[in-house]
Amino acid sequence: MTMPPPPTTLPTPQNMATVMPTAVDAGKSITVSSFKITTRKLPILNAQEIDAMTEKLGITPPEMIFGNNIVSIEKIGEQGGEEWKIEFNALDALDLVDKTGNDMLKVAYSAAWQKQRERMHEGIKEVVKPFDWTYSTNYQGSISGTKEFTETTDQIPLDKLRRQDPILFFDDVMLYEDELADNGMSILSVKVRVMPARLLLLARFYMRLDDVVFRIRDTRVFVEFADGLVLREYQEKEDSYDNVKKKFPPYRDDIPAIMRDPNQMAEYLPLKSVKVEKLVL
Amino acid sequence: MPGLPVDLDACIERLYKRELLAEPVIEAICAKTKELLMRESNVVHILSPVTVVGDIHGQFYDLLEIFRIGGFCPDTNYLFLGDYVDRGLFSVETISLLVCLKLRYPNRVHLIRGNHESRGVTQSYGFYTECARKYGSANVWHHFTDMFDFLTLSVVINNDIFCVHGGLSPSIHSIDQIKIIDRFREIPHEGPMADLVWSDPDAERDEFALSPRGAGYTFGAQVVKKFLEINNFSHILRAHQLCQEGYQVLYDDRLSTVWSAPNYCYRCGNLASVLEVDDAGSRFFNVFDQAPENAENRVDQQPVEKAQVEYFL
Repeated sequence: MTMPPPPTTLPTPQNMATVMPTAVDAGKSITVSSFKITTRKLPILNAQEIDAMTEKLGITPPEMIFGNNIVSIEKIGEQGGEEWKIEFNALDALDLVDKTGNDMLKVAYSAAWQKQRERMHEGIKEVVKPFDWTYSTNYQGSISGTKEFTETTDQIPLDKLRRQDPILFFDDVMLYEDELADNGMSILSVKVRVMPARLLLLARFYMRLDDVVFRIRDTRVFVEFADGLVLREYQEKEDSYDNVKKKFPPYRDDIPAIMRDPNQMAEYLPLKSVKVEKLVL
Repeated sequence: MPGLPVDLDACIERLYKRELLAEPVIEAICAKTKELLMRESNVVHILSPVTVVGDIHGQFYDLLEIFRIGGFCPDTNYLFLGDYVDRGLFSVETISLLVCLKLRYPNRVHLIRGNHESRGVTQSYGFYTECARKYGSANVWHHFTDMFDFLTLSVVINNDIFCVHGGLSPSIHSIDQIKIIDRFREIPHEGPMADLVWSDPDAERDEFALSPRGAGYTFGAQVVKKFLEINNFSHILRAHQLCQEGYQVLYDDRLSTVWSAPNYCYRCGNLASVLEVDDAGSRFFNVFDQAPENAENRVDQQPVEKAQVEYFL
């Protein structure tokens, strides 16, 4: 598949119409106060592209791999060029997945399966390229530009984000998804909303390994346009399957649906770590 | 169909219009289907011409598109390779229609079991939730999943093309070893029955290897070659793996993957295909894109992904 040409007309805040998400698009962007926000949603990779990615990564990519999708926030310099940029893409996210096999989780019935197998087929001992097949990543975006984040005690101002300011641009972009061979799910997607004075981006990794563990890793990027202030918050949430199951309300038959929804699951998982960084552009 | 207190043609007509059948009708149809499937071997032998369909996953409008492209039953013979339910919005309608067609034209429609035709998997991936939502109880889910236990595991076309949902098993060298599996049960986690519905090819290897997941196998080029030689077949045809092009051919044309859910989960943007095997046994992939109705019918249904602007935090 060839890459479609870049969009010729870009929506601007002047026309104030919200840019709505669509299933597939070749790329769209908005520029507000010299911050340019771009998203692109294309079909999953074809066989050739998967081979190329497999070679680059050294591991098999997830079943649904949106390798051409991106979400980026770019600060345009005074000369009109790119001064600083943070981009979210599947390749860089997957490059941070453990490829040594040291962090490998096993499916719940693995022990029983191995025992049975050892009786039957002792010859087959080789594991195909051990790696973290849950595709767990601590990806916080790919940065270009010389300015660097420093840790801060500042917090993302939730009060400002709770206000129903008009949304000029919104998108929800999938980077990858895998059903873990029907043992759960692993999903990385990025949402972004741009308001007149600020923006919020949330890159959420959600992983459920049935009867073993739930895991959420959130990266939020907040930009206050007037100050050129960029805050990036990274959170890890995790708990065992048993613990989470105890917290579910009893006698609800929509629990399978809850377990498929990272947004609902975020409420059930305890915070393990959080870090906030700051940068002024 | 003798002994069936429902009019199958009327059911099929309703289902083509995406109307649900009443719960007692589903119950009767599933019971009758069990009787029919019980008599099928674990390895069903059929003759071409036949059109082979891969994963559908509840994408009902794309199933109708397949009939429009490939011909309606009984004008075209069909072999479905499993994974009828979960993920898509219309698993109930999809499996209801396929089961009615199977009952109406038992020698022209064949259904193989996929890894999603199981109680465990359908509880996690949508079919259970859909049954409960559309019928107000899990009864229909019980009728269907009980029937799934009777679906056959494999089909051989023209004594030449071996068809299965997932792939090969280290426990199976000859198809005679498939025939002795006790298949009338929930899909187990291990053993040859699990391997047939779960395993994947790995083009970089020759032999069987353990999946990094700690359960399940991948199978390589030599495994395929040996299996075909022992059984005197020329090709393995399977589904189970998403591919952007709708199909994939591996191992010097000894194995094909056919994928029949276009724009999988209404967001992958992939193509789909059906494989047409003609009178002479030649294979032809008929590639197609998603049905136009998918977009129209998402609005009134539970969205697969929220397409709305959202004040997320």
